[in-house]
Amino acid sequence: MDDRLKAALDFANYSQSFAIQKKILKEKIEAKLTYGIKGGIFKIDRSLITYVQMLIDQGRADNIPLIDSNGNPILIENLIDFRDEILDRYFSSSVEYYEKFEEMKKNRTIEKLVDL
Amino acid sequence: MKKGVLLFAHNSREIDYARMSIISGSLAKHYLGLPVSLVTDASTISWMQTSDCYDKAIDVFDKIIEADTVEYSNYRRLHDGPMPSLVPFINFDRSMAYDYTPYEQTLLIDTDFLIFSNRLNEFWDSSDTVLISSAMQDICDKSRAGYQDRYVSDTGVHLYWATTVMFTKNEYSKIFFDLVKHIKENYNIYSDLYSFFNVTQYRNDIAFSIAKHILDGFSTDTSSTLPPIVTTIDKDILHEVKKDLLVFLITPKNDSSYVLASSKGVDIHVMNKQSIIRNYDKLMESL
Repeated sequence: MDDRLKAALDFANYSQSFAIQKKILKEKIEAKLTYGIKGGIFKIDRSLITYVQMLIDQGRADNIPLIDSNGNPILIENLIDFRDEILDRYFSSSVEYYEKFEEMKKNRTIEKLVDL
Repeated sequence: MKKGVLLFAHNSREIDYARMSIISGSLAKHYLGLPVSLVTDASTISWMQTSDCYDKAIDVFDKIIEADTVEYSNYRRLHDGPMPSLVPFINFDRSMAYDYTPYEQTLLIDTDFLIFSNRLNEFWDSSDTVLISSAMQDICDKSRAGYQDRYVSDTGVHLYWATTVMFTKNEYSKIFFDLVKHIKENYNIYSDLYSFFNVTQYRNDIAFSIAKHILDGFSTDTSSTLPPIVTTIDKDILHEVKKDLLVFLITPKNDSSYVLASSKGVDIHVMNKQSIIRNYDKLMESL
């Protein structure tokens, strides 16, 4: 086989492995951003964090109903504790995502990419 | 007991579901921190005793529940990587989970679902009493899932994946499981009503999906569900296990070409059952 073609096909294989690894990493991070509380399920994202922080900034921190990811209203008794939990999870997940993704980008061979 | 995990395992000539249940049960126990029980049959227990894995089963499972011997089985075409074969499997008593479970709240999982995180623990307090996974999520970037992995049929309703089901024992969940039994017993009639035509192979996913569709008021409600199931198809191969790192050979185009990929810390549905069994020792060592 032509060396140029072989190099291109090797890179194509690498790209496919990279895409799968990225998808698995995103799934892992997404799992960490699922928060179950008081019968509700919240998907933690920036808009939830911002909304909760706005409520706290306006002095509304006790017994606040929030709409969860399934569209159900959930009464959060202590919004500050809730904010701390979701912020901590989002921040630590973002850091982990960044670190793992940087590591992935540095691994230019399939063997290193999949941690063999 | 309040919360626990339940598995069903009935060995067939081709696949050692007992051994798979020990792997899957051990992982669930370790990562979710919950007791795990197994529903099986006398013949599978006998096999476990002769194949020296019964002691391990006793160690892993909180309860081993001996169900009545199931007389008939389904057949389906399953691959072990590129190699196809027609294999029998027994899945008729999954609708009995409500009757068999020793727990007030139960997470029912398939033996080829390998848990590597505590994500599902977030769902125990859900106000919904029966939760089923909303979909399968192919591990591949470009999904290889076909129409019949997403819908009961070409013109049918949404297909939920009964690979993971969480339920709380109450009046509603009893109605749900009774309805699944009814659908199973009248599978031909429901195949007409819901326009699916492969009636020779009973699929729990279909029976559970129809039951949910009916009890949701003949509508689709994907909001009250467990997360989509990250899945490797049976043509993929679990190639190697290094502690909690699973290395797969993945066929992105669903043909005979493979690329490498790995997963760590993600709950994963490994449809190539033989490749799970080949890695039994390494998976058990990882705990």
